[in-house]
Amino acid sequence: MTAAAKSADEVKRKRDAKRDAIVLAAAPHVAFDGWGEAALIAGARDAGFDAGTAKRLFPEGAVDAIARMAAIADREMIKAMEAADLNAMRVRDRIIFGVRARLEFLTPHREAVRAGLGVLMRPTHAGLMARITHTTIDEIWYQAGDRSVDFNYYTKRGLLAAVYAPTVLYWLNDSSEGCRDTWDFLARRIDDVLKIPPLKAKVMNRLETLFKDGPFKMGPFRRAHGDVRMRP
Amino acid sequence: MSPAKNSDATTTPVGGHMPGDPDKDELIERIIRVDQAGEYGAVRIYAGQLAVLGRGPKGDMIRHMKLQEDHHLDTFNTMAAERRVRPTILTPFWHVAGFALGAGTALLGEKAAMACTVAVEETIDVHYRAQIEKLGDDERELRETCRKFREDELEHRDIGYQHGAENAPAYPLLSRAIKFGTAMAIKLSEKI
Repeated sequence: MTAAAKSADEVKRKRDAKRDAIVLAAAPHVAFDGWGEAALIAGARDAGFDAGTAKRLFPEGAVDAIARMAAIADREMIKAMEAADLNAMRVRDRIIFGVRARLEFLTPHREAVRAGLGVLMRPTHAGLMARITHTTIDEIWYQAGDRSVDFNYYTKRGLLAAVYAPTVLYWLNDSSEGCRDTWDFLARRIDDVLKIPPLKAKVMNRLETLFKDGPFKMGPFRRAHGDVRMRP
Repeated sequence: MSPAKNSDATTTPVGGHMPGDPDKDELIERIIRVDQAGEYGAVRIYAGQLAVLGRGPKGDMIRHMKLQEDHHLDTFNTMAAERRVRPTILTPFWHVAGFALGAGTALLGEKAAMACTVAVEETIDVHYRAQIEKLGDDERELRETCRKFREDELEHRDIGYQHGAENAPAYPLLSRAIKFGTAMAIKLSEKI
């Protein structure tokens, strides 16, 4: 790396550190002011910067800040997953661990997340919403050890997205101690989803039989008349 | 750190980088995605040919080519997993289409199967060559992989010619149709 590239990296790193500090300081203000200039400026002041810095570092305002918050949560989640002994866990538990680590980090900022989802739900931000969700889910699978490069890549991520989104919504309104109910909810959703692959295998087996033996040798017919193939 | 002269070498197209062109990371991702998909398709084509011609006199030769494609696919599978490249979403389609193409042409006869091999491998040759040109010194490993695999594909093409590809029924039509399909498949697999 050249000296110029190195110092550019250094500049970017410092910039990102400032952005992180401002977003985290702004999050408590979001509960009252919503994601926007007011909260970011207040956050910048709390973190020891001036209002101009907030505007400069988040040119798109709320959207930039929300994306940054999501990135911070992902980073903390990865840190927690890397520190844990995932190898000793079943894949199911690794996934639960990841989702839980992310939400636990975000628990003090729950109101900010609620407001952030409100912004992301707007149709104009559908792309950003999809990108943020995909990054999180992809990261969880990667940390859990998934290295699939076929269509399973998509089914795995799709199934986790179907678990993750309702879990976040449940967590937003969970008033149980330490979000205990959310973790139960998450485990139940995962168990539901795990019923899909065996079901799929069953359907595929059926289809294969259909192609191999023809449509008349399937299911109840064969059972009623014994194994047709045994006949000479 | 490597010396400054080499360190500036980045993977940029020879003609220079134009606005709207994919940046380096995106370019590498596309290359690995499409190559993985391509080798996947190749394995399926040969599997299709083997389903029909596997027990015939050409069986062992096709098996040899399929073994090489299996190796290519393994290499790109590993590479895609290591670099976290999203696979193409069209995988299930290539699974079926590749097999259908292989088995379909094999059913037209051995020579049609060879014509299919030639048409596919010729398109792949052009594709690999374009990739090798785009890759700079910082991606030497990937470039060498492409170069090596390209040589295998050329060998397959020559085998096809030696076994009468050009005598297949409606050869020009068959060849052009397959080449068009392969080129389309490449374009799609790069992006989605």
